[in-house]
Amino acid sequence: MGKPTGFMEIARRTVPYADAKKRLQTWDEFLEAADETLLRQQGARCMDCGVPFCQSDTGCPVDNLIPEWNDLVYRGQWREALDRLHKTNNFPEFTGRVCPAPCEGACVLGIHEPPVTIKNLEQTIIDRGFEEGWVVPLPPTQETGKKVAIVGSGPAGLAAAQQLRRVGHDVTVYEREDAIGGLLTYGIPNMKLDKRVVERRLDQMRAEGVKFVTGVEIGKDLTLERLRAENDAVLLAIGATRPRDLPIPGRELRGIHFAMELLTENTRTVVKTSSARTNGKPGWHTVPEDAAKAPIHCGGKRVLVIGGGDTGTDCIGTAMRHGCTAIVNFELMERPPAERASNNPWPEWPRIFRVDYGHQEAAAVFGDDPRQFGILTKRFLDDGKGNVKGVETIRVRFAGGKLEEIPGTEEIFEADLIFLAMGFLGPESTAVESLERDARSNVQAEYGRFVTSTEGVFAGDRGGEGCRLRDRRVLDG
Amino acid sequence: MGDDGIARDNPRRSAIKQVASGRFGVTIHYLASADEIQIKMAQGAKPGEGGELPGRKVDDTIARVRHSTPGVGLISPPPHHDIYSIEDLAQLIHDLKNANPKARISVKLVSEIGVGTVAAGVAKAHADHILVSGHDGGTGASPLTSVKHAGLPWELGVAEAHQTLVLNDLRSRVVLQTDGQLKTGRDVVIAALLGAEEYGFSTAPLITLGCIMMRKCHLNTCPVGVATQDPELRKKFTGQPEHVVNYLFMVAEHARQLMAKLGFTSVDEMIGRVDLLEVNDAIVHWKAQGLDLSPMLMPAQAPRPGVEVYCTQKQDHGLDESLDNRLIELALPAIERGEAVSAAMPIRNINRTVGTMLSYELAKVRDESEPLDDDTIHFRFHGSAGQSFGAWLARGVTLELEGDANDYVGKGLSGGKVIVYPDRKATFVASENVIVGNVALYGATSGEAYFRGRGAERFAVRNSGAHAVVEGVGDHACEYMTGGRVVVLGPTGRNFAAGMSGGIAYVWDVGGGFASRCNLEMVALQKITEPHERHEVRRMIQRHYDYTGSEVARRVLDTWDFAVQQFVRVMPEDYARVLRERAAKEEAAKLAERGVA
Repeated sequence: MGKPTGFMEIARRTVPYADAKKRLQTWDEFLEAADETLLRQQGARCMDCGVPFCQSDTGCPVDNLIPEWNDLVYRGQWREALDRLHKTNNFPEFTGRVCPAPCEGACVLGIHEPPVTIKNLEQTIIDRGFEEGWVVPLPPTQETGKKVAIVGSGPAGLAAAQQLRRVGHDVTVYEREDAIGGLLTYGIPNMKLDKRVVERRLDQMRAEGVKFVTGVEIGKDLTLERLRAENDAVLLAIGATRPRDLPIPGRELRGIHFAMELLTENTRTVVKTSSARTNGKPGWHTVPEDAAKAPIHCGGKRVLVIGGGDTGTDCIGTAMRHGCTAIVNFELMERPPAERASNNPWPEWPRIFRVDYGHQEAAAVFGDDPRQFGILTKRFLDDGKGNVKGVETIRVRFAGGKLEEIPGTEEIFEADLIFLAMGFLGPESTAVESLERDARSNVQAEYGRFVTSTEGVFAGDRGGEGCRLRDRRVLDG
Repeated sequence: MGDDGIARDNPRRSAIKQVASGRFGVTIHYLASADEIQIKMAQGAKPGEGGELPGRKVDDTIARVRHSTPGVGLISPPPHHDIYSIEDLAQLIHDLKNANPKARISVKLVSEIGVGTVAAGVAKAHADHILVSGHDGGTGASPLTSVKHAGLPWELGVAEAHQTLVLNDLRSRVVLQTDGQLKTGRDVVIAALLGAEEYGFSTAPLITLGCIMMRKCHLNTCPVGVATQDPELRKKFTGQPEHVVNYLFMVAEHARQLMAKLGFTSVDEMIGRVDLLEVNDAIVHWKAQGLDLSPMLMPAQAPRPGVEVYCTQKQDHGLDESLDNRLIELALPAIERGEAVSAAMPIRNINRTVGTMLSYELAKVRDESEPLDDDTIHFRFHGSAGQSFGAWLARGVTLELEGDANDYVGKGLSGGKVIVYPDRKATFVASENVIVGNVALYGATSGEAYFRGRGAERFAVRNSGAHAVVEGVGDHACEYMTGGRVVVLGPTGRNFAAGMSGGIAYVWDVGGGFASRCNLEMVALQKITEPHERHEVRRMIQRHYDYTGSEVARRVLDTWDFAVQQFVRVMPEDYARVLRERAAKEEAAKLAERGVA
């Protein structure tokens, strides 16, 4: 904490998003370039707390050394900041872009003032590291002769692969898709996480000696038993990709899709088209037309997204870039308050009303926030030809912890395309059929040891920021 | 420390007043408004270290409360300069009891090996209350090294103190308290079973009020407004008394449930019942293996059956034999109606702490802002005074002593006047002999003192406001001084002005060797040049002559124009800087005012 009074003198300012209408003209990232003076000032707002809640249970899941690199940014020591950041986090360029930043929710300054812009700082430290050429391959100095197979190439699989490779194991990552990256590549849209950002990290890992195999699905193309037999250890980092369905009348109608059907295929198309246009590098200077050949295209359609989480927002952003003519987003829960409610104190994650990029863009084009809160879909409506033409809904409220329909609030919302973004239930079963699983279909593994019912097979947790550290434990085990 | 003049009957006052080695703001009014006075021998989290308040935190209010200068840092000396032995501690307890006979006198010790022996000594020294403080206290401004590496758990200290006190049949005379990260009812019950009957909480209630353990207390930037003087940050404080009340109710309820399980109906029954504690064998930490806790869990009553194991009787402080009972009687017209009173009487060295209980009576009836006129009460004594003559003497009281005095003359002087000169029949040269003992004027906050003769060691240590004239001093004079004026008309010992951060000393350096005996770490030596300052010094010497008939003073005054050249002005550099800045600010304000006009 170079500046003890920084938080009293400097107001919070985040790196701004590009203008909503302008950013709809591209699939490029929506965050504007960061200004160094601004960031260094923001770093000075960190108070170097005696008890840094940003690193606590309610804060950063990978225990980033946040106050340390905040201070280093303030002092302009970007290289040192990068070293501290990499100590706990293999991929800050991903978390700095897509993490919901519980650290900022737990920031001590957030008790009375807007918190420190931790997420912006994290992203800038690592982006600068790549620009300056500080992020170089760190291949192992000694080979252990042990072979490890990792199933799944999402953030958890990649972090485990990097850590295991760096200590000298022979690591192969298996991915069923045609490209490495899992959620990072085909889950998160390009405007949120540019695929070049994924690619440059994969380049580093290839140079370190991690082997990648795409287009192979374990349990289908290759059995888990065989994988186990050919390797000293197998790590399952397969994520939770089974979407929650909405089994109500009319579900079979045409035009109703899971969110990932839209997002995955759209990104695949955008990356392919823009790569073909520009040097074979993915994601260079994209335009909306790059998605023209996407199997599901929202252009000229009225779109309804059911589910108010991040995936729902990504569907909104994608539909907006397709040029939908109307968009509505349903959220079952009531509209959260503008500020923390009394049952949601600091340092918990603040359950407050937020406006994400997709909401901004919809509002910029159509004038209104696209969200409807406290609403339940009762059935899908048929246009008579087997296509969906809308939904029938009813307003709901929570009373005594139970969902309660409010009589007389039935409504019809018209839509040509409906996307279900209501969360994920657990892993798909192909790879894990032979393993014991819990009631929620997750692979059973003792927390902290991650050993499954088959010896030598380890289970990482579902993908996300939290996995990196856990994977290091897997390695030790 | 310090209470900013909050009246004694105001509930906002602190009920427990601490007396630490710094003695900042420890005036007779401060002491007189306490329910308990605690002598802080050390702090559990940083035993053996003095406190430090950085200059930027000393704003106007803090400076007023602590009787120091805004902007000048405050350093507490590591030791209490009036305690070098257990007898000295007994004397301080006696002094404080005189300063407030109604208050319970407590001694705060830290948990350490041998605390039992210390506690036994403290009990014999007539403390009413002993606090054994553990190392886990969460003091936000302690150096990290102390927080991590100093002190011992309270459990060890309480067990040892209780055992030793019971074995020596002293336990019944004192209340035993413990603190240092007590948080739950379970902590309370364990403390009781180990032998404590009072339990101190501070970090946990502070947390309920919004403290988030920033450890920035020393930087004045507490973002939740708990430990800061910044008015903007203080607005962020959201604590309510109810939060503390709730918390303590829950602690009490938890303790009650555990007591019910153990079959106790009162706390007294639980004290020292170590037979109900057992070591948790399930702790497998490698550091814990090899620990033998059985000495801690030895019931102290076993070798001394029938001895009381908690406080059942009061200490005899011997106040009814005090000379002050007579002084108070004589001074009643002054106490009640502000009429002038004077009397003369003999004094002996069994008369300790003379004038202090009288000052308490005055402080009880008069606010600090409405003192008696100077010299309203004037007592003349003849003989050898005991220790602590004129301790915490209140404004309006003048003690004149023909003879000599023991240690701690004018300790904590609170506006009164102390005059000492040798017996008129004495044949020795006054200015060549020590007339007052060690540590005179320790922690004085205001008032005047005139000693015809020399002071001994540590003269005017931690003085923060008294004006004194003396004819020579021993080693370490004016150590840690933060305010006031001291004129020395004679030789000094070594290490003069060590750690001195405020006030000014004037030394008549006839031989010219003073600079080599002065500690120059924080002070600069100059001549007295300003006419108004020369006038001020001369006036002090004139008064010294008027009160004591000093021959040295006579000589200086007779040759003033020449003698003034031989005076060395000892001025702390920080203090000079603050005075300069203040003068510049006033000048600027004046200019601005004129500009507007």
